[in-house]
Amino acid sequence: MTDIPNEPWFACLPPCDAYVPCGDGRHVVRWEAGALRLLSHPDPEGELVLAALGGDKARCVEVAQAWGRHAADLSVLAIGPRGPADEIALSWDDVDAAAQVGARGPGPSGPPRVAPMRLASPSIPTSARVQAQRQRMEQEMARTTQRRNDMLSLLALGYGFQVRLIGQVAEAHASPPDDQLARVRPPLVAAISARVALAAEEWIGIDPDQVVVSLHRGPGWGSVELTGQGGQRRLQVSLPAGWLGRVWAAGLALAGRHLVVAVRRGGWPDARVLALRGPGTEPVPLDVHGSAPGPVSGGLDVRSGPADAPHWEI
Amino acid sequence: MNREGAETYLRLLAEALIRGSLAAAPGSGWAEGPAGGRTRMMAAGHALTAVGALGFETLDDIVADFELAVNVRQQDQGSRGGAPLAVPSSAVAGVLSSAAVGRWAARLHPARSAPLTRASGLMWGWREAAEEAAAPDPEAPDRFVPVGLSLPFRKEGVSGELYLVSFAQTGSGARFIAAWPDRALARPGMLDPDSIGLDWLTVTDDRGARYDLALVPGAGPGWAHVMSVWPPPPQDIHWLDVAAPPGPAARVRLERQAPDAGDEPEVSEASLSPGEHLLTMLADRLLTTAPESWRDWRRQRAVASPGPLPAMTAGLGQIVAALEAADVLSPLSPVPARLAALCASMGFGGHGIAAAPAPDLPERWLSLLAHYQRRKPDMAPVRDGYAAVAAALPDLDGIRLALLGLDNTEGCSSLHVLARGMTAEGQPGPLGVDLGFPLSLWLRDSGGRWHAARTAGRHRADTECVVRLRLVPPLPESADSIEVLASGRSAEVRARLPLRWGYPT
Repeated sequence: MTDIPNEPWFACLPPCDAYVPCGDGRHVVRWEAGALRLLSHPDPEGELVLAALGGDKARCVEVAQAWGRHAADLSVLAIGPRGPADEIALSWDDVDAAAQVGARGPGPSGPPRVAPMRLASPSIPTSARVQAQRQRMEQEMARTTQRRNDMLSLLALGYGFQVRLIGQVAEAHASPPDDQLARVRPPLVAAISARVALAAEEWIGIDPDQVVVSLHRGPGWGSVELTGQGGQRRLQVSLPAGWLGRVWAAGLALAGRHLVVAVRRGGWPDARVLALRGPGTEPVPLDVHGSAPGPVSGGLDVRSGPADAPHWEI
Repeated sequence: MNREGAETYLRLLAEALIRGSLAAAPGSGWAEGPAGGRTRMMAAGHALTAVGALGFETLDDIVADFELAVNVRQQDQGSRGGAPLAVPSSAVAGVLSSAAVGRWAARLHPARSAPLTRASGLMWGWREAAEEAAAPDPEAPDRFVPVGLSLPFRKEGVSGELYLVSFAQTGSGARFIAAWPDRALARPGMLDPDSIGLDWLTVTDDRGARYDLALVPGAGPGWAHVMSVWPPPPQDIHWLDVAAPPGPAARVRLERQAPDAGDEPEVSEASLSPGEHLLTMLADRLLTTAPESWRDWRRQRAVASPGPLPAMTAGLGQIVAALEAADVLSPLSPVPARLAALCASMGFGGHGIAAAPAPDLPERWLSLLAHYQRRKPDMAPVRDGYAAVAAALPDLDGIRLALLGLDNTEGCSSLHVLARGMTAEGQPGPLGVDLGFPLSLWLRDSGGRWHAARTAGRHRADTECVVRLRLVPPLPESADSIEVLASGRSAEVRARLPLRWGYPT
């Protein structure tokens, strides 16, 4: 079995909820079937229009906008969790504190301010050029601050949303055109390496530093082979970018004592996957059944964590 | 060059560092601290940007993501450990990476085309008015003349002595390398070279034309300065008279002085890869920086086996691996093994270079190591003085160097050079390597000892840069000649020059 089914990448992912402080209360933001839904904001686009006219923008709407801005942002793969043991537990208070510090500008521990330069004899063109460069720098700083606040907000949604965003980003780059490959391959290779190395450690006890990953393209699921001995031992893994969304984000990297390399028939809570008993073996189909604690298991004040991730059994 | 391999290596390094933090015992966090991880990241990243295998924006993106990934995990550890929940300000307020800020600052720094002194400010209007009449001619032939004249001055209660070391004229203008120690000024409190008053000095040529002077103070403890001459003297001028009150004038002959200008420089081919050349400059950096930490180094060597000065070598292994991943350093290159041997000889541990130390080291490295490893390596202070040398070296990797003089001041030796064709000024190099002077430069004195050069100051004017290179160890005053060895990727240049020392009276 080498063909990947033509199903959405999120077929094995159940809905996921998070509470977001919004206005005077807390609203539920739900991820479902690959999309974010704001249950307390039936007309987010209308709210955006009102915000553009000077009204307040609801935080739920801001979060949804941030999600959209970063749905194909490869940085998400470098910042987000590497596995259930890598919990990033930011609270909304942290996000608010960060936004306030960011609004004040760099503090003493931030980057140094650029002091006004003393010019021997500044000509008008030079002054204009310096001013223009300063404006560009300020714009770049503003963009970077916005991006950082976006990331913190998205991380504050909790583990379930973090892994789903990683899946969405990976899927956005799953089939890059040839002229984009050199740009997207390094972050994709790093992202798969980071996550498959931890899974491989649990799978066969190999040192994660001995896992070497390449990006698989074309038909088939890829390959996993063990080479060398002792310190030269390497687990050579070749997987497609889509593995991140279809397998890893769904919590399917390991099922039983198998490394899952592809989803043959996606679905929640029942799916059929292709999995390896060991390196160099042929993948075998496995029927797996998932269970999850349910949406918003932690109450109003607790975001979803790794414990809320789906659990799969053969 | 494998740019994709370079970026992939750096991203995987970031992953390994983050993974290391995850594997650490709960609460222990980073084995070497996040700053240590960042140091290694930046060392490898700057090595890759230095050889052109990685763009600055890509490096900024990778480092920014790494820092945010580290900071949000530190925040998480802090909150689970009961620490205050304030997000580290660097996680949220560091809106640009420090590397990006540095580059922005460099961009904001206006190109200086004139000296930054009161004298220059006063002469600015005159200069603008005169520019049309006497603009520098980029096509004019170069003229480098060793001078070696002393010019006593006394006026308004101030007295002292000015030393004209050399004269250099290129398409960008003319200038003297001049020297006067602050202590040569007799009036108390007059320590600002600016206060000497260049309007006291007159410069006249053999046709009676007069020239103006503007001062660019030297940086650091040295007392050599660049004194620009305006307008540039015509090429057929034979001499300049420089006079200070009460006189008489010192005559500077501008004809070429072949008899004592040394032999013609010898050029030999080299074929270093970009990675090998960068590692060679890193070795120079290690060898020239060690004396600054000499006391700590010796103390630590006496009591501890782990290598001291870890910051100097942290990331060397990552640099080597990054250069190999970018295909700018062959896995068969002997240079990493030499670097490992150098680190071992200096007692620097933790460098992480996988290659076994090489059995042999270059002669000049051994010379410097022998100097360090003497029981009393600190040389007796040499007398302050200057040596008038001037010589142009052949093109080296697109860079043209002209030697403009030597001085010994307060126990430090400096070589002054004029450099043209450099393009990487302001670009950060790995572990402190100065990419603004991308050459390896050594001197061998007449006693056979080698001295390594490291940039210690510079003044840029148009397309040229006057660079002060600190020599390690200092040059003995007994040296009556030097052999200069400048090495680039594609060639080596050797020039032998006699030294004529002058001393303050």
